[in-house]
Amino acid sequence: MIAPDVAPAPVVTVPALSSRASAGLLEPVAFLVVAMGIALVEYFVAGLFADFGPSNFWLAFVVMAGWNAWHFAGAQTALGSLTGHYIATTDGQPASVLTIAVRQLARFGVLYALPIMVLDFNFLTALLVWLVVGAVVSRMPGSRAPWDLLANTIVVDGLGKRATTVELPPLHSAADLRLAPARARENRRAARLMLTAGSASVVVSVLIVWSIFTEAWAFVSDSEFEWGILSQRGWFPRSGQFDLSTLFVGTLWVTGIAMLVAGPVGLGVAFYLSEYATPKVRRIVKPLIETLASIPSVVIGLFAISFISPKVLTLFISDIGIFSILAAGIGVGVLTVPIVASISEDAMRAVPMELREASYGLGGRKVTTALRVVFPAALSGISAAAIVGVSRAVGETMVVFIAAGGNGVFNTDPVEQGQTITAAMASLGAGTDQIAGSGIAFQSLYFLGALLFVMTMLLNILSDLIVRRFRQVY
Amino acid sequence: MAASSPVDLDQLRARRGADVRGQIFLILLLLSVALAIAMVGAVFYDVIVQAWGILSDRLWDFLASPSSSDPEKAGVAQGIRGSLLIALIVMATFPIGVAGAVYLEEYAEDTWVTRLIQVTVRNLAGVPSIVYGLLGLAVFVQGLRGITGGSSVIAAGITLAVLVLPVVVITSSEAVRAVPGSLRDGAYGLGATQWEVIRSQVIPAALPGILTGTVLAVARAMGEAAPLLVIGAAGFYTTGNNDFLEQFQGAFTALPMNIANFAREPAQTWRGHAAGASVVLLVMVFFLNLVAIIARARISKKLGR
Amino acid sequence: MADAEMTDTPDVFNVRDLNVYYGDLRAVSDVNLDVRERQITAFIGPSGCGKSTVLRCFNRMNDLIDIARIEGSVKYHGIDLYDSQVDPVAVRRRIGMVFQKPNPFPKSIYDNVAFGPKVAGQKGNLDEVVEDSLRSAGLWEEVKDRLSSSALGMSGGQQQRLCIARAIAVNPDVLLMDEPCSSLDPIATGRIEELMKEIQNKYTIVIVTHNMQQAARVSDRTAFFTAELDESTGQRRGKLVELDETGTIFSNPSDERTEAYITGRFG
Repeated sequence: MIAPDVAPAPVVTVPALSSRASAGLLEPVAFLVVAMGIALVEYFVAGLFADFGPSNFWLAFVVMAGWNAWHFAGAQTALGSLTGHYIATTDGQPASVLTIAVRQLARFGVLYALPIMVLDFNFLTALLVWLVVGAVVSRMPGSRAPWDLLANTIVVDGLGKRATTVELPPLHSAADLRLAPARARENRRAARLMLTAGSASVVVSVLIVWSIFTEAWAFVSDSEFEWGILSQRGWFPRSGQFDLSTLFVGTLWVTGIAMLVAGPVGLGVAFYLSEYATPKVRRIVKPLIETLASIPSVVIGLFAISFISPKVLTLFISDIGIFSILAAGIGVGVLTVPIVASISEDAMRAVPMELREASYGLGGRKVTTALRVVFPAALSGISAAAIVGVSRAVGETMVVFIAAGGNGVFNTDPVEQGQTITAAMASLGAGTDQIAGSGIAFQSLYFLGALLFVMTMLLNILSDLIVRRFRQVY
Repeated sequence: MAASSPVDLDQLRARRGADVRGQIFLILLLLSVALAIAMVGAVFYDVIVQAWGILSDRLWDFLASPSSSDPEKAGVAQGIRGSLLIALIVMATFPIGVAGAVYLEEYAEDTWVTRLIQVTVRNLAGVPSIVYGLLGLAVFVQGLRGITGGSSVIAAGITLAVLVLPVVVITSSEAVRAVPGSLRDGAYGLGATQWEVIRSQVIPAALPGILTGTVLAVARAMGEAAPLLVIGAAGFYTTGNNDFLEQFQGAFTALPMNIANFAREPAQTWRGHAAGASVVLLVMVFFLNLVAIIARARISKKLGR
Repeated sequence: MADAEMTDTPDVFNVRDLNVYYGDLRAVSDVNLDVRERQITAFIGPSGCGKSTVLRCFNRMNDLIDIARIEGSVKYHGIDLYDSQVDPVAVRRRIGMVFQKPNPFPKSIYDNVAFGPKVAGQKGNLDEVVEDSLRSAGLWEEVKDRLSSSALGMSGGQQQRLCIARAIAVNPDVLLMDEPCSSLDPIATGRIEELMKEIQNKYTIVIVTHNMQQAARVSDRTAFFTAELDESTGQRRGKLVELDETGTIFSNPSDERTEAYITGRFG
């Protein structure tokens, strides 16, 4: 062994705040269990189950902090580390029992005392304090956790025991080539966990379908129901009028207007970004468009009645009211632009450069190439973009709820107010139509939901099919 | 080479000038881009202008006051708190989505079951948010009333978590898929089990994409109002400090609900409040977007990309 | 059972009648070869003749491909590697692999090398293990001051030596190398060839290479593979043509196909 000239700096793992703060799931669960246990004991012993709250937590804190400090200090000094990590002083020496106990108490305090205080005091203030503290702490040198700074310790991977070589167990038979049972078990357990999580989405689907369709069926099979009420003009659930055509007309108008806005604008943006924009321009424009996608739909709804109606539409149609299908449609269109733009752009950018170069090589200009080569090649993706846009527009609720008026009268004039399937559902659900609870009027909510679910599902399947069937193979 | 007519520079020049169609097309494209940017600008401009009054007059009061029928006193404190609590509940369910994505990408074999799950997830991502509200109403509010306490933050949080789950699964799947196979080969070659490879190499390498996806999903969940409407979020309610359980099981509201209710008030006095609440919501949503971008950039740098 | 007991030969691997299938396609047919302990054995031949496929059978990396399966036997120290009791993870602990393109983990140099031992359950401070492995791979002097910096910041040749270091860190019995120098420049290639000769007395090495001269330079024994066209299916199948001392293969091969390849008449 070559003796080093200078003692090498110990290679230690200095954990950042985040990695140590999230110390496994077991501890917080145990904490909650202890707290609840204390509450139960209080109840049985002193009949004091008045509130399951902060006092229980403080008691649980004391219990667990004390146990934690004692256990870790004792465990490391007597048995060695339980987790493969050791608590050492800053020069790599094992920490004393007292130091470990102090560290564990500090750790427990930060991890659990703060949340307890949060529940006691004002939530917002506590959250702010926590954020500030976290930001400050994570900037500190070495990014050591606050409890390590307090006790002047660090966590290392191995203490005293320095491994020089990695042992290879003897090999006599096939049985020696088996995996250690602990690792095999962990592997199997992890696989099972992932499978459970993976089936969560199927469970959700089933739940949606079941809950909606059972109630929708209740609507249709209710004693007050007859198919005729689905076609008398006007949607007035309170009066037993459930005219679907009113809602369909509204939905069609809103969707149509929205696609009239989003289609050309979205396609234009997509063409520009994909075929004409320089990388510098792209870096500015694309995030701007994506900003549009992050704006919540309620804000667009507000925008529709405070800007689109009074400031834009009145320029063209002087006697238009604040609420109209036109305003709602344009608002939904604004919402849909980024979806159409981004899916179309992805489809266009996926067209390989070779196709464009072939066109240029034959003397084609940019516009010709864009329209005659790129557009047809990306057509399946662009159609998918359009269908997804339609699906989004059909399913949009808040903009219409706020801006379209929704008086339930059958109406085909976009300048007037109107009602869509989604907004009708919102009115029913929010109790605007004053029929909370059960009863045929409320069940119509689920009937509409089933209808909407089927429509959007069909649209999504359609767009999937188009992409898969008609995608040009390059 | 066959003899060809001599190159006529004038001819070439003339052709270039006559690209009228190209010019018109470009102008149309620029118009649409300008329109799109104008839309963004108009939304922000309008919201900020409308909110200016109330925010410049009584910003902190607006943020800290509960709702009230008096426009001078009404604030969005309860909405902010509800939105934060919902965000916390939604975040708590993300491990399920990420685990589901890991399952689909790493464990599942290419059978009809797997393909069914993948198609299901994609379809769920396209279901309108109000339909999720119906699910929440039927299952979490009415069906599981004992646990959730009916129309409560817990019910709303779980409903929105379910709404956002497909998005989390899809973005996490993409992130995991983007991890190069050579990384897995290297880890397997050293004698690691499948779970060890996933835990120590694949997931850390996919972390930028996963984090971005989950943060954006939280932003999306915070902006949803339609499911809250159906679940029965209160428009306004007045309560003081609640103890631990009541906070999660009692009546609640959230920022998007505040905005919708303010906006639907017939009196113009409430427009400012609606805009003010919109500004608060926009700040929160864009703060989250910023966090996602920064986190992704920093972790990508650490991974050397 | 004789198969399950270790036998006392200087052979590390005994391959008998090995056929590798990807689904219905037979990629490699009827390979019989032996790999001797503490020697460097090279697999050479034109591309697509199954050299890498056979190599990956030695550490059961083919298990990772759903549709791959084998017929025949691969014995390691007399033990059937594909016995039902054998776990591939335990196999890979003893039989390490270095890949064609360097694939360091996007972590620090220290963590790259420490990964194998940690996963194998090695407790305690791994500093010395990391240092020894990096020294054996000839990297220590270059990286000792920046062990915690990212492995991705190194050059291609350094990264490949890091991959060798991390494979060595678990103290394997065998090192499999799948065209380790094909993405490196000649100088880096030379360093790795030097490295191979240095560590030869500690590990058995099997290397697949496209570069005949490399095989001639480093290996003790060489196996020449070729691809045959299967008349009935039109698919190409890999076959082992001959396996002998390197000197013999390159100066006096028994099979005319071998001679055609090494004299450059095809390949």
